[in-house]
Amino acid sequence: MQFEKRRANTKQEIPTASMPDIIFMLLLFFMVTTTMREVEVLVKYKLPEAKAVEKIENKRLVSYLWLGQDGRIQINDAIVDLGTIQEIMYNKRQAMPNVIVSMRVDKGSDMGQVTDIQQELRKAFCLRINYSTMVKI
Amino acid sequence: MALIKKKKQRSAEIPSSSMADIAFLLLIFFLVATVIDVDTGIGITLPEFVEDVETVEVSKDRMAAVLINENGDVLLDGAIISIPQISKTLKPRIESKIELPANRKLIVSVKTDRKTNYNRYIMALDQVKLAYFEVRDEYALRRFGKKFINIPDEAQVEVRDKIPITISLAEPEKVK
Repeated sequence: MQFEKRRANTKQEIPTASMPDIIFMLLLFFMVTTTMREVEVLVKYKLPEAKAVEKIENKRLVSYLWLGQDGRIQINDAIVDLGTIQEIMYNKRQAMPNVIVSMRVDKGSDMGQVTDIQQELRKAFCLRINYSTMVKI
Repeated sequence: MALIKKKKQRSAEIPSSSMADIAFLLLIFFLVATVIDVDTGIGITLPEFVEDVETVEVSKDRMAAVLINENGDVLLDGAIISIPQISKTLKPRIESKIELPANRKLIVSVKTDRKTNYNRYIMALDQVKLAYFEVRDEYALRRFGKKFINIPDEAQVEVRDKIPITISLAEPEKVK
């Protein structure tokens, strides 16, 4: 007498028909969250770390300022001189009255230079600043 | 013999089996191109620029002077202190002034030399902020049973009024 092997009747494949939908959903998520880098950063910098950090809620108000390892200052797309900061930032403030200046300063910089920039910002009435830092874990 | 023309069965569907591949390719592109921007940092408000500065005397017990010199040493009210200790030392001083009126709350003055390293400055400033945040959190826990970020907006305003963060940035001394 022969025994017949018992087999389950259910299919053993994972249904792949909905795969494109899932992938598209992921795709859409990434497309929505992606922010393409708008400006090319021309200076080299490494941010310091801090624990008590806040998130900037309104990204549209943020204007960036870089201070690189070599002491060069960048605003928008170009390297600028210390003396011209006031004018540039003043114009920015005219367009956006409550602009937040996010300072991306290299951690090896001297405070003297940072203070010089801050003095220029004060003269331009850009008083809200934010020292950009990495989050220390 | 009659030849019957065989009708070819043409499929009228768009082949959708490669759809997943196309979507994957796009997905990978966006994954690679995504830059998650760091927009976290230590926020601070600069004082307005005035030509001739009027000096206002502030009583000693309202002031906490943090000085970071060019060697990276931190002095709190003239005494040398290690950076991680700053928040612990400041906390009781902030807490003792919660119930006082606004013009008697603690002012933390952060001063640096021109040659001070930026990283040290951020570390010290971070500690000062941390002290304030911890006091706010503890106060919110006692009053509302939740941490500061989780309480409603009106309550946040109230806590902010009670524990305002006043950090004064002194201009550094010129090193000649």
